[in-house]
Amino acid sequence: MQYTKILATAFLCCLFFQTLLAQQTQISGQVTDPDGAALPGVLVRISGSTSGVVSDAEGNFRIPVAKPDGTVLEFSFLGYGMRQVALSSASFSEKIKVTLETEASELEEVTVLGKSELAEIREKAFNVSVVDARKLHHTNLDLGHALDRVSGVRVRESGGVGSRMNLSLNGFSGKQIKFFIDGIPMDDFGSSFQLNNIPINLAERIEVYKGVVPVGLGADALGGAVNIVTKNTAKNYADISYSYGSFNTHRTVVNTAYVAPSGFTVQLNAFQNYSDNSYWVDVDVADINTGKYYPNQRVRRFHDTYHNETVIAQFGFQNKPFADRLLIGLTAGKNYSEVQTGARLVTVFGAWHRKGNILMPTLKYQKSGLLNDRLTVALNANYNFGTEQNIDTLNRRYNWFQQYKEYDMPGGERSRSMYKYSNNNAVVSANARLKTAKNQFLTLSYVFNHFNREGSDELYPENNTYEQPRQTQKQITGLGYELNFRDKGSFSAFGKYYAQSNFLARAYNPTGNYGDVAYRNQAETTHDFGYGVTGAWFVTGNLQVKASFEKAYRLPEPEELFGDMINLAGNLDLKPESSYNYNLGMSLWKQLKKNHRMDFSANGFYRDARDFIRARLNNNQAMTIMDNLYNVTNAGVEGEVRYSFMDRFSTGFNMTWQNLRNNTEYEPGQSIPSLVYRDRIPNIPYFFGNGDVQFNFPGLIKEGQDLSLGYNVLYVHDFYLYWPSLGSDKFDVPSQVSQDINVTYTVGKKAKWQFTAECRNIFDEKLYDNFSLQKPGRAFYGKIRFFIY
Amino acid sequence: MNTKFQSFALSALFGAGLLVGCSDDPNPIPPGEVGTSRYIIASTPQSSDGVADYLLTAESLTEGTISTLGNGTEQDGTYRYYVTAGNKFFSMLYGQGNPGAVTTYELDGTGSLVKLSNFQSETVHAFAAVGDDIAMVRVARSGEPIGSWFRIDTEQMQIVADGQWDLAAIANNGERAHFSWIHQVGDKLFAPYFSIKGCCGDSFGTAYPDSAWVAVFSYPEMELEKVIKDNRTSFIGRYFVPGMDVDEKGDVYAFSSSVATSNGAITSTLPSAYVKIKKGEYEFDQSYYFNVEEKADGNYITSHVYVGNGKFIATMNDVKGAYDTGKRFGVVDVYNKTFTWITGTPDPAVVQSVTINNYSPKDGVHAYIGITTDQGSWVYEFDASTAQATQGLKVDGGVITAISKLEAPTE
Repeated sequence: MQYTKILATAFLCCLFFQTLLAQQTQISGQVTDPDGAALPGVLVRISGSTSGVVSDAEGNFRIPVAKPDGTVLEFSFLGYGMRQVALSSASFSEKIKVTLETEASELEEVTVLGKSELAEIREKAFNVSVVDARKLHHTNLDLGHALDRVSGVRVRESGGVGSRMNLSLNGFSGKQIKFFIDGIPMDDFGSSFQLNNIPINLAERIEVYKGVVPVGLGADALGGAVNIVTKNTAKNYADISYSYGSFNTHRTVVNTAYVAPSGFTVQLNAFQNYSDNSYWVDVDVADINTGKYYPNQRVRRFHDTYHNETVIAQFGFQNKPFADRLLIGLTAGKNYSEVQTGARLVTVFGAWHRKGNILMPTLKYQKSGLLNDRLTVALNANYNFGTEQNIDTLNRRYNWFQQYKEYDMPGGERSRSMYKYSNNNAVVSANARLKTAKNQFLTLSYVFNHFNREGSDELYPENNTYEQPRQTQKQITGLGYELNFRDKGSFSAFGKYYAQSNFLARAYNPTGNYGDVAYRNQAETTHDFGYGVTGAWFVTGNLQVKASFEKAYRLPEPEELFGDMINLAGNLDLKPESSYNYNLGMSLWKQLKKNHRMDFSANGFYRDARDFIRARLNNNQAMTIMDNLYNVTNAGVEGEVRYSFMDRFSTGFNMTWQNLRNNTEYEPGQSIPSLVYRDRIPNIPYFFGNGDVQFNFPGLIKEGQDLSLGYNVLYVHDFYLYWPSLGSDKFDVPSQVSQDINVTYTVGKKAKWQFTAECRNIFDEKLYDNFSLQKPGRAFYGKIRFFIY
Repeated sequence: MNTKFQSFALSALFGAGLLVGCSDDPNPIPPGEVGTSRYIIASTPQSSDGVADYLLTAESLTEGTISTLGNGTEQDGTYRYYVTAGNKFFSMLYGQGNPGAVTTYELDGTGSLVKLSNFQSETVHAFAAVGDDIAMVRVARSGEPIGSWFRIDTEQMQIVADGQWDLAAIANNGERAHFSWIHQVGDKLFAPYFSIKGCCGDSFGTAYPDSAWVAVFSYPEMELEKVIKDNRTSFIGRYFVPGMDVDEKGDVYAFSSSVATSNGAITSTLPSAYVKIKKGEYEFDQSYYFNVEEKADGNYITSHVYVGNGKFIATMNDVKGAYDTGKRFGVVDVYNKTFTWITGTPDPAVVQSVTINNYSPKDGVHAYIGITTDQGSWVYEFDASTAQATQGLKVDGGVITAISKLEAPTE
């Protein structure tokens, strides 16, 4: 089959030949269709040779040639006629423009389009979803809300802009999911650089690995990992956007890069979020004096302002003999967030707030083509000097009518505090990929994470002498072997070695005299070994089957070991959580007719997790403490269907159903089975889905003026707050449907202006999250974006 | 529910003693059969996630089985505390310093719990029915030494007064007063407390492990009138555990576990004992002292239930710990200063937990205490006259956190 060959070549090219490019003369250009639209995935190769490249999403390509004179480039792409272009010496300096003509004949064969980087990742042997962030750049989403549209993912938040987010992936949630930015662990970046405040425009794409995580990411992820890939081009660009909307929400994003011909590169990303989050909630308002409820009042949130400002600046070199990429940078930012409620809406605050900042130098280094083109290495390092502070200094009690009672004595709304701490977090990650033989690769990765919390409270200086050292070090080493059968599929096996050392000094009284204190040093080290295998196979050119397995571990986080100084007490005896994760999936691409395409994918998964780390109350019930509490299993399915007609129309939906069950048969100390053994785990959505429709009207009024309309719907089935089988008169979180709509108008050829109007939750449905916290109702946003590439 | 009705005349007659006052509730609920009453049992699942209490009703505590499986009124949130006053059942959330909704129930003519209303209250850690009021207090274990009090009118079902105390001023020794519980004694509110550092990485540590204190407040003004002190025992009651009861004559008897700590180590040197405060007096009775530890083979009291006529069913433990609950039981007669071990309770080796908030009809004989073993949870009927315990009602689905009794209001 001819197409298999093209596919094979394309695959091969993408994987191996791009690393060759830096060393030879580069010819660059762009491939378009007769209408001038960019054609991605076009195979470009030197006539008579087997080497070639594939054009990227913008139709651009770069191909190395020894000497231009006499060299002929061949351009081929299914559905278009093959074209040959002879090069001349002039081709060096200018960008070649190639237009492919549409082929008249209808296609009968099942087709696979040339692969973009996105498709390549999707076809990896992992259960992975990829979000093409560029398609969302016109929206007002942050990373968290963009992830909420991925099958198997539910993002739960406690309120509006900047509120705490918790991502759940195939039933695992919180710290069981690891986050990476360009492959660098986002461990302890602090509150100023998180999913809830990073705008979608910072990302090029988001990869969501479910259950089995590539060894190259070097993570102790129990349930999966999310890798945010930022824009990395060797071109100059600027992308600036500003949006304004309901609840006095302002967001600004500036992404820009300058790349000198010498390879000197400066990248600057800056973003800002501001919101009053003054959306309406329906609550029972308590009388400030008597506690009597005025039921079902509709009131605005009044103490929920959030803002953050972050700048990421990087400079260095690209495509030099000593490095493909060497960037030194600094991430600096701060955030301010007011605390409106406790875990429930009945608890309302009017002055308590938090502050945080990030000051993090970074180093990124990448080099390929070593050892005769067989070795690629990368090294990343960062250190966060950022601080976090909790400020609660008014002895007041508020109600939802914004009334308050103030007491004479110094106190707080919750607990008087100005505690400020720094986690002094250092992360170093390194990995190397070696081609050992034809189609065979070895990957070695190593991640080192150091944490040392230091803090003090100016209100209680006498406590400072009792501050205890809180340090932990984590090291994860991974080794993977990969066998690639080119067009047919791939196979890999890997092992991960986890080590963690905790250092803590416990206070004791050496003499028994009042107030005397000394510290006894304690160090504890744990080791664990995890492993996994993955496989992917193309049954036919357009049907791929995947299977993967991992025995995964997650090491306790510093916060779980040492507490958060507010609500959470430390537990040094925490063991890692572990899970056996299984995935089986298939994907099908089908070209129905010319221009009509269907994509279908389905995955089944099974998780068998032990020693789940969960919160319980400590001895005197003053704080929560994390503990290895119980076992769960989760069997589920998720599926996605997409249909598209050219680039004019696309629609799709995904759904996830998961059966998360309590697998702890005997509670500690019990010899009879637990009443809730095999009961569904409460307070976690188990059936949910997304649907979207997108219309594009290119050149609606005249050329260079595009209009698009988008619609998105989110459904979450109702679920119980507590164990489903217990009680007859129960609390639940009702079913929710949220619908968003947006319209975008784009104008300009090279430099483009984009205007978007967006309405979220158009029918003003009541939306809830964890423990029935209410989320914003109908909201309107407008966004202006200017970009030039 | 599988319980069979068994007449239990004494309990119906004597009602819930101190906790149940008279009521002429104005709320128009269906007129019930006069004298309808039920035991209310709160059960917490033993699972470690998604924990909520369930309120179950039972006609008898001495036989049958009740289960939370598909049955019971779910209570929103973990760690709730329950108090019965004015024929109403109050379910309060312990929310770690945050306010929370208090849900109020009443019994209807058919013996079912009917929700009356919600009102908002502060998180408290000690409370007492005082006439038709509920008095509630909260004290800070660290940070500023603030004690807050609230007075709830059970007819209006709302807070009618509140205020704050300076706990450091009450302790007046460089530490702070931490109330173990509050009790109505005559027309005063007694708050036995322990002295704690409240700081310095050892909040519950103290330099004064061998003294007992009671803060005496006027009621309803809640003004501090006096602090009384005794150096013959350590502090009265324990964290979240009431240690004081008023007998039929109006005299107060109180126990000390003698478990004060410093940096987590027990530093009390005095034995676990009962002391007395005579009716109308605001000093410890120096002529009364009952060293229980000596009579109980070195065991100390971790909690007690007053059954009337000077008798307590005490929960006993051997190794001292600030938060430990005992697994053996004894009859303490504070009038005759005798201690008798109780037989018929499960082997302490299989006992997982013992309920603290228990029920007695105050007939001088009976107490009903929840015990969870590796085989499940039961209400045990304790007989103070024979020093015997008998397995009674089985409660499937968790640990019993409270046992109380509620009467349907009479029209």
